[in-house]
Amino acid sequence: MTTNGGFEPVFCTIVPPHILDTLARHEDPALSGPALRTLMLDAQKRAERRITAEFGLAAAAAVKAPSDQPLRTIYDAGHRTDLPGTKVRAEGSDPGQDASVNRAYSGLGATFDLYLKAYQRHSIDGDGLPLDATVHYDEGYNNAFWDGKQMVFGDGDGQIFVDFTSSIDVIGHELTHGVTQHTANLTYYGQPGALNESMSDVFGSLIKQYALGQTADEADWLIGADLLAPGVTGTALRSMKEPGTAYDDDVLGKDPQPATMDGYVRTGRDNGGVHINSGIPNHAFYLVATALGGNAWERAGQIWYDVLTGGELGERAFFDDFAQLTVSTARVRYGDGDELQAVLKAWERVGVPITPRPRL
Amino acid sequence: MRIQVRRTGGFAGIERHAQVDTAGRPDADEWHALAEQAISAGQSTRPTGVPDGFGYEITVDGKTVYCADPRLTDEQRKLISRVLKEGA
Repeated sequence: MTTNGGFEPVFCTIVPPHILDTLARHEDPALSGPALRTLMLDAQKRAERRITAEFGLAAAAAVKAPSDQPLRTIYDAGHRTDLPGTKVRAEGSDPGQDASVNRAYSGLGATFDLYLKAYQRHSIDGDGLPLDATVHYDEGYNNAFWDGKQMVFGDGDGQIFVDFTSSIDVIGHELTHGVTQHTANLTYYGQPGALNESMSDVFGSLIKQYALGQTADEADWLIGADLLAPGVTGTALRSMKEPGTAYDDDVLGKDPQPATMDGYVRTGRDNGGVHINSGIPNHAFYLVATALGGNAWERAGQIWYDVLTGGELGERAFFDDFAQLTVSTARVRYGDGDELQAVLKAWERVGVPITPRPRL
Repeated sequence: MRIQVRRTGGFAGIERHAQVDTAGRPDADEWHALAEQAISAGQSTRPTGVPDGFGYEITVDGKTVYCADPRLTDEQRKLISRVLKEGA
């Protein structure tokens, strides 16, 4: 069957589908192979025609290659809780009067930029997913979250927190929950949940560093540095450099994050302490990035990104599973060099053992 | 009736807790109706919720139920907000 190349297109149009089905099931691969390929091509052509008809030519083109431009839409919940709310800014439109809308729009852009330029990832799902965000959710709402499809930002109560769009790393943090959902999909509880949180802090911080052009030594390694209302005693919500030191306040209490396994907190609240124990892998990343120097999104960020998206990290991975994968990734990508040493030392410093064991 | 609300998680991971004792309050009936509706729509175990979403425990006279953002009923949202605002 050396003439298959010229044979198949004819096959495609004139052979009735039931004959193709029969041929596709034939035990001789010389017969079933071309038939199977024809069925696949045929299905693809039909899908393309349907997409063009229903969603337009632009959509059909988008299927072929995800765009290097983000597709952002910002909604306003009007202080209510119905999502997504009223559309207030579309991709490419000029900034309006609402600072929250404009900050959300540029934060989504900065996030898209880091993932594309540093890691050649097209949006959250790697396939050009439109980026949607809702601002002014509820009244005085002291939170921001990723609901599985979009980002949601509260205005803060003005007493403890200001508007949650104020810190670019918070925006990057929320969108990274989307990246994690589409890749390793770490279970949001206990150690895998703390890893999920840590991924969001790591890439949230990298998005800020990339946007500001800061090296690892210049970065503040803080999460939510612009989020605390005036009068709150603290510098941010979390510190990757010194977990446990971000705030100490009459109302907020003290930053509960440990930097090492000695301080690991066992609790059922906060989904098993996901925002507490994330301090440990956060600090490990900080140690790797500052040991290597230069831009943290390059070597340190690349290793972490490879592990998050590489397909080997299990949904229920523990800290040591993750650590082991950063070690093997550093070796594969950079050989037995500074990168590998930095990764090994960082996990040792935070008390996570590197011992090869069966994967989860 | 004693109504307690505990909020955990959220982006900040900072816990808040407050309670209201309705005994002797002029609006006690309104609180009772709201609390009963909120409790009946709650779950017996903690839902995982969404990343960074708040999780809530509502306890009324010793019975505890759980719920999580953004999937709260209107009554749950109203009760939680009132207890955290007015409670001690």
